[in-house]
Amino acid sequence: MTGRVLVRGAGAVLFVLAAGALNAGAQLLPVPPSRILQMALEAPRLVDYEGTKVITVLRGDRTETITVAEAHKRPERMRLEYVSPEDLAGRLIVDDGATAWHYEPRLNMAFEGPTLGGQLLSRDRTLLLRNYGVTDLGVEDVIGRQAYVIALVPHHPGVQRRLWVDRATGTILRSEELDPSRGVILSAYFSRVSFSLNLPEAYFEFRMPAGARAFRMFTTEAGTMSPAALQRRVGFPVLIPPVLPEGYTFRGGAVSRFGSLTSVYLRYSNGGNLISFFEAPAGSIGWPSAGRAIAVGGRPARFVDLGYFRVLIWEQGRLRVTAVGTVPTETMVTAAGQIAAGREQALVQDVSRQIESDPATVQRLRGEGLTFPEVARTVTLAHRLGTDLGTTIRFVRGSLSASDLAGRLGMPQEMLQQTVQQTARETSTSSSPFLSSPR
Amino acid sequence: MTINHHRAGQLLSAYLDGELLPREGAAVQEHLMECSSCREEYERLRITKGLLGALPVADPPAEFWTAVRAPRSEGAGPRFSRWPSVLLRRPVWAAAAALVILLLALIPFVKGTVDRLHAAEIGVDLYVREHALEMSTEPLTDRAYLGVVAGDADLVLAGEQARRGGAEK
Repeated sequence: MTGRVLVRGAGAVLFVLAAGALNAGAQLLPVPPSRILQMALEAPRLVDYEGTKVITVLRGDRTETITVAEAHKRPERMRLEYVSPEDLAGRLIVDDGATAWHYEPRLNMAFEGPTLGGQLLSRDRTLLLRNYGVTDLGVEDVIGRQAYVIALVPHHPGVQRRLWVDRATGTILRSEELDPSRGVILSAYFSRVSFSLNLPEAYFEFRMPAGARAFRMFTTEAGTMSPAALQRRVGFPVLIPPVLPEGYTFRGGAVSRFGSLTSVYLRYSNGGNLISFFEAPAGSIGWPSAGRAIAVGGRPARFVDLGYFRVLIWEQGRLRVTAVGTVPTETMVTAAGQIAAGREQALVQDVSRQIESDPATVQRLRGEGLTFPEVARTVTLAHRLGTDLGTTIRFVRGSLSASDLAGRLGMPQEMLQQTVQQTARETSTSSSPFLSSPR
Repeated sequence: MTINHHRAGQLLSAYLDGELLPREGAAVQEHLMECSSCREEYERLRITKGLLGALPVADPPAEFWTAVRAPRSEGAGPRFSRWPSVLLRRPVWAAAAALVILLLALIPFVKGTVDRLHAAEIGVDLYVREHALEMSTEPLTDRAYLGVVAGDADLVLAGEQARRGGAEK
């Protein structure tokens, strides 16, 4: 009897040990960090969830903690019900992937606007992987679930991210954004989350409450236009940034209208972050009272620090230019200073001489929204690879990946990478004495 | 009840005409005490309306009624052809007409100034809203937070008070 008990006990111990070993083995299975990032990017298209999220964010010179009930139905439906703080409690956002409704119960007002759930484009992924290094920081528990921890560090100074990616679903359970000059500027985590729910369609449809006042808030025209096309559209000169922090490239332009205010909107992205430039005739908009007075390229400007977002406003010629972004102050001021310097024609001549191209080509590429280092890179790469300018622009902007371009050219990817890296070194802002790179 | 600069600008004319609810009127009054640009705007509106109100109520000349009562068959030409001579004989009418034309000419200028004042206040909120909406296309951005930013801007653009939010760091 005793022997049988001993045998059973030993068997149980062996089973537990074996299970533990299997579990440990599963935990230690190496997953490349780029694969974990891929999981996180794909998860919204594959997983439904419902949970409570806590967000702590910089707001001016303070921090604010926000609690929100967040529900997501694949591929891009979303419902957000804000719980706290008190002046946010009750706000509802229902997004069906095309239109987002924002309802404010205390005012019985509803706002209809564009979706908050942008589609993941291959260009974003290419730019993200091109401009950020992804490192594996191990596995941690988040609300009782195992999560891969990865860090995304930009190759050039900028905001870093840390993500806790659910091992089972790929959902981001926790995230942190870190500005090297200010520390953590945003932290978000699920305090509770449920997966594999069959959330009803009706939960993601907005029904207008009785007596609610409705506002349509589609202020930016859909689609994207080049700066040259925008200039023809609005009738005032459109300023294109001569140089931006390395990695930022033109993502699109549009006309924004609100009441009598018409502005041109230029967007620049590095795949993980965005800098926006708004330009409007100076006569159509006065100076805001918010923010503090600073100088940009010797011109008077106002800097408004909203915490997570930062705004820089200055006047140039007959234009009022406003830059918005989540970038270090110095980066924003330096990038603005390059625009404010107003050396467009001199730079066109300098760059065309440097890359042995005609000024008309340089000017045409500027009209497509390229910065001067990108213009130099595009023309040099097109010459070295034998590609046409259109294809080269798509590659420089991340719409065409290195593997796709190598496939098209029938050359090994390593050889292409070498050519690209050499060209990037030769045409970087640091190698061009006429341009100083924003840090 | 408190209102922001943009909303106060919208209510000034109604305030001047005494058409607001008591609490709205009190809020505009409170804002006027603090805001010099709104006080200037209020003063401009008051003067303009005062000028319009001060226009004399003149009796129409006898020729006017004759012209109105004249049979249609007489045609419009002769009736209107009398107006220059009527204006010459009635200088008050001529001055009133000139003043109305002047005020109509000033409307775009006054409206342009008011629009610029409004645009200065809304500009930052409008642009931050546009930026936040565009940020939603960046794959790793937290959309629940962007909902806060865009939602706050919606309220300001609709003329509501900005949300205070935040706690000391």
